[in-house]
Amino acid sequence: MKLKEGFILRTVAGETVVLPSGNVTNFDMMITLNDTGRFLWEKLESETDEAALVKALLAEYDVSEERAAASVQAFVARLKELEFLA
Amino acid sequence: MHNEASVQLEQLMPLIREQLANGQPVQFTTRGISMYPLLRNGKDQVILGPLPEKLKKYDLPLYQRDNGHYILHRIVKVGETFSCVGDHQYDYETGIRPDQMIAIATGFYRRGRYCSVNSFGYWLYVRFWHYTRFLRRFGNRLRGHWRGGILRIKKIFGK
Repeated sequence: MKLKEGFILRTVAGETVVLPSGNVTNFDMMITLNDTGRFLWEKLESETDEAALVKALLAEYDVSEERAAASVQAFVARLKELEFLA
Repeated sequence: MHNEASVQLEQLMPLIREQLANGQPVQFTTRGISMYPLLRNGKDQVILGPLPEKLKKYDLPLYQRDNGHYILHRIVKVGETFSCVGDHQYDYETGIRPDQMIAIATGFYRRGRYCSVNSFGYWLYVRFWHYTRFLRRFGNRLRGHWRGGILRIKKIFGK
């Protein structure tokens, strides 16, 4: 599991925003990420899986495994829905 | 963890300008009613490309007013400066300088369907809508008088 190519990630007005940039940069497809979202996003820039993402979250943040797993699952589901994953 | 765009389009203008400077078109949903019936508030999307060498009459540019507002209105007069007006407006905004121009509409999505500004239908719409502007203005005034008349009659009769 990995992000597709060609995303723009920027900090705008204190928020991390990502948006797909193919033939057209579509601002309607833009999402904002919090710190955890950005952390996972950066991990997803190279090939990984949900278990590895949960492990990375646990190593970086003080959260329970249950909560980390739920966060990763929700995040990945949303990225799939947006067709952001390769 | 993630949100659908809580950042305002105005805050994204540096990023939009950067994309355009790289020759990359940008797309977003338009706001406001001034370009109705072409673009419906919060429903239709416009695609903007980098400015051409010369802007022409009927082009639809994005420009920034000196008060900071970003506007997408149609050029109706070209001289040293431009006059622009929304398709849903009557009064021209004059004196728009070339340095205020940011981008030009190359197409749009209306009800999910793509339409290029080079299509014949668009060509026809733009001219028809522009040349019938005075009729719409007249019609609007007439409706205004009619309403005003009824109000006056109601006042006279104390209703």
